Amino acid sequence: MNLISPTIQSLEQALSTSALKQQTHTANIANVDTPGYKSKQVDFETALKNAAGKQALTSYKTDSKHISFSNESFDPRVTVNENSVHKINGNNVDMDVEMAELAKNQLHYNAVTDRISGKFRSLSSVISGGR
Amino acid sequence: MTLFNSFNISASGLTANRLRMDVVSANIANAETTRARMVDGEWTPYRRKTVELTQSGVSPFEQKLQTMMGNGNKGISGVSVSRIKEDNGPLTLNYDPSHPDADDNGYVQLPNVDPIKEMVDLMSATRSYEANVTALNASKSMFMKALEIGK
Repeated sequence: MNLISPTIQSLEQALSTSALKQQTHTANIANVDTPGYKSKQVDFETALKNAAGKQALTSYKTDSKHISFSNESFDPRVTVNENSVHKINGNNVDMDVEMAELAKNQLHYNAVTDRISGKFRSLSSVISGGR
Repeated sequence: MTLFNSFNISASGLTANRLRMDVVSANIANAETTRARMVDGEWTPYRRKTVELTQSGVSPFEQKLQTMMGNGNKGISGVSVSRIKEDNGPLTLNYDPSHPDADDNGYVQLPNVDPIKEMVDLMSATRSYEANVTALNASKSMFMKALEIGK
């Protein structure tokens, strides 16, 4: 029986990806005036697809005591945007995009934390027998 | 650590931009300084200083290597000032025979500081500073939210 639902694990992965995303955006903003710096981003969709693919990978059990695969670690990749030039010094950080992405990521993070809290609340509701 | 790294990155941006502002202030303050440095027993005027920014921590080679090895995350780092460069552009000549540093023909060499360039630099540094503050606040509120999980 699974007391703690796997949803919490998925949400946790979403949180860490969001934290990594936050890091790339802050790095891009900090390096907005660095000559030759190329902007970086987290490829969230590919990461999600990889994670979904990994969950489909189930262990082959011949005995009920065999242990199933643990959830493989979620591995979002950071890609570097090499091909565009935005400024004369070779830097391609687009400040407006970075700011918009920062706001978006913040909301996403808040939404996910909210959902985790909700999960825990329903769990504690069950534990206390609905009282 | 993933969680607090974004704070450090934003802080590095704040430090670098504050230094840029310091350098701009020094340039404006010394816009008329004719005796900045003694060279071969003669005073030379102040020269405009500029800041050179680089991505901190990682060399371009290391960055490429880590990306190729699939550890792309390692390339995320802040900014640092690699050096403060002197602008070797031509000094301005001004005709002012009464100036104590005027030469025999009455010309005095003044620093190559252009107030307009300095103001533009100052604005750019201020805006970058503000952007880093915004990013820092965003990270802070996010992690404050994370502390509320389970409450």
